[in-house]
This record gives sequence, C-alpha cells and structure tokens, in this order.
Amino acid sequence: MEDIVSGALLFTGERSARGYRINKMAMSFTAPESRARFKADEEAYMQAFGLTAAEKALVRQRDWKAMLDAGASIYLLLKIGACTGHALPHIGAHTAGRID
Amino acid sequence: MAQIVGGIGSSHAPTIGSAYDKGLQQDPVWAPLFSGYESARAWLDALRPDLFLIVYNDHANRFFFDAWPTLALGVGAAHTQADEGWGKRPLPDLKGDQAFGWHLARSLVDDEFDPTICQEMAVDHGVLSFLPMLAGPELAIPVVPIAVNVIQHPIPSARRLFKLGQGLRRAVETFPDDRRVVVFGTGGLTHQLHGTQFGTRNQAWDNEFMDLLESDPEQLANLPLRDYMERGGTEGVEMIMWLAMRAAMGTTVRRVHRTYTAPFTTGYGLLALAS
Repeated sequence: MEDIVSGALLFTGERSARGYRINKMAMSFTAPESRARFKADEEAYMQAFGLTAAEKALVRQRDWKAMLDAGASIYLLLKIGACTGHALPHIGAHTAGRID
Repeated sequence: MAQIVGGIGSSHAPTIGSAYDKGLQQDPVWAPLFSGYESARAWLDALRPDLFLIVYNDHANRFFFDAWPTLALGVGAAHTQADEGWGKRPLPDLKGDQAFGWHLARSLVDDEFDPTICQEMAVDHGVLSFLPMLAGPELAIPVVPIAVNVIQHPIPSARRLFKLGQGLRRAVETFPDDRRVVVFGTGGLTHQLHGTQFGTRNQAWDNEFMDLLESDPEQLANLPLRDYMERGGTEGVEMIMWLAMRAAMGTTVRRVHRTYTAPFTTGYGLLALAS
C-alpha cells in the first residue's frame, strides 16, 4: 500500500509496529508521574522502555522529523513535546522540513 | 419511546478546549466559533435532550496500539477525562447511560458491527473540547461515547461510518424507554499535522463537505478515504465521523445552524441539524 499522501506519512500498522517503542514511551506520558520521571532522567527512562541506540539519539536531538520517519505517531510526538517544551507549531514545522 | 431529536457536527481540537478554559470567547480570533456554539446551544437546550451519542476518535489517550479498537463504546455509569500529556482540564466527569449503552452494544452486534465494549472509558478532546460550549460546564447530560479508529490504518471507510449512523438510529428506535437523543459526529475539518503540507487547510472542501453532508450525504459516503486525505490531510480524515451523525438523522434534515472558521491549523466547523 502506498503510504505517503501529499507529503504526509500514512500511519499504517507496519509503521506503528516499527515505532512501537517510541510510541509506547510517549503513551506513558499520559501519567504526570511518568512525565516527571522522564524529565528527571531521560536516559534512564528511554532505557526502561527499550529504545534502541538510534531511537534514543533521535529523542535526545529532538529530531521530530526523524522520529516520525522511524514510526512515531504525530499524536504521540505531541506527548513527548509536552515533556520537552515543544508544541505542535514547532513539531509540525520540523516534520515539514521548515526548521532544523 | 426513544427518538433522535437533533444532530451536531463539530470539529474537535485541543486548542478549542484551551481557548474555552482561558475565557477567549470574545477574542476576535475565537468569537465567530464561540458565538456559533452559543447559537447551537440555545437550540439544543430547547430540544431538552437527555442523551448524547458522540461519535469521535481517541488520540492515543484511552487506547494504545497494544490493543487498538476499530470501534469502541463507553457503557459505564461515568466517563473520566483522559490526561493527554499536559494535565487535565477543570471539568467534571461525564455521566454515562448504562441502560442505553448496553442496548446499543446489543443492537450494533445484531447489526454485524463488532464494538469493543468499555465499562471504563476515559475521553479526550475528541469529546471534551467542544462539549462544555454545547452542554454547559457542568456537563449534566449523559453521554454514550463511540470511539472510531481514524488514526492507525486500516481505518473504516466513509460508507462504514454512514452505516454505523444507520445502526445508531436503529438502536434508538428499538430502545424501550424514553430518551431524547442528540447524535454528534466530531472531528476535522481539514487539517494536516505533519509532513510537507503541515498546517494546510482546505476551506473550499470544508464548505463543500458541509453542503454535501446536508444535501447529498451518499456522495460523501461513496468517497474513498484516499480522496478525503488528499483533499483534507491524513489527520483531516476524521471528518468521516460526521457521516455517522448524518445517517442517524435519516433522509431529510433541516439546517438550524452552521459556522465555519479556520484561524489556525484546523478548519473549525459546526453544523446543527434538525429532523
């Protein structure tokens, strides 16, 4: 199935499976205590969710476009952004390649 | 006898809830939308509804991709608010309607739908962003939330949502007790939250969609998902949920209210239909 529509990524099951670790970590941020734990020690938190070295680097670099390419859902990226101080206007523009 | 007394199509967006909480009702950017909700609410109040059926989508707040339902019903006595990652809003829990919820579950399964039936259902901005404007901040009117997957593909077609709406109508018509029901279809309108077209709205299509929803919903039900996404964004595909509301309203409808504005990344639409 063609999974790009007008420059956007179709969030297919296959993409969801690829991004599962990042998305699962982001989902945990629906609990305030998890947000606090992540903010206190990002590295330990990412380790606990089993992110690969490459995935950890993308989170560390706040590379929203690359996280999306790695299978993150835009809705889960917004939860990571809520922890790191990045809202939709920034994250969306980054995935568009308009900002670095 | 239960009966459907009205239908509402509404966008949902975290920004709408946040503007409401900040009291931006008179802000020039927000005033057109909020005054639209005010007019629709006056009409709603006069209908004296006692049950809202809200077809919406969860944005990975109640559900996660470990077990992601294509269709889910909230049949509990109350529905809590999901924390979406930035803390909860100052809103009370929603009241549920267990008797109608279980009846709806039976009716839909008889109709060959396969809902996940949730005795605990936390709802997100898909329900709560617009609801205080239409129901009042006390959120006193019971809600049966009906969550549809429009995020992780494969997602149901516009035709499937139309059939779901017909199923909602059958469920209301076969409920033995009295209810005055308003059906909501929420989501959209056009928005693209990522990729090279980030921030693009398609105002012409949003307005054509609202025209056709009234006059020729069959045409919208026949439109492939890819057309919805090409015209309105991969996230804008949410607008297919309005088809469920329209189908639940039956063949002919009368428009009571319509508002459209698109000041930010999403086309905000509001449509109130009477039978």
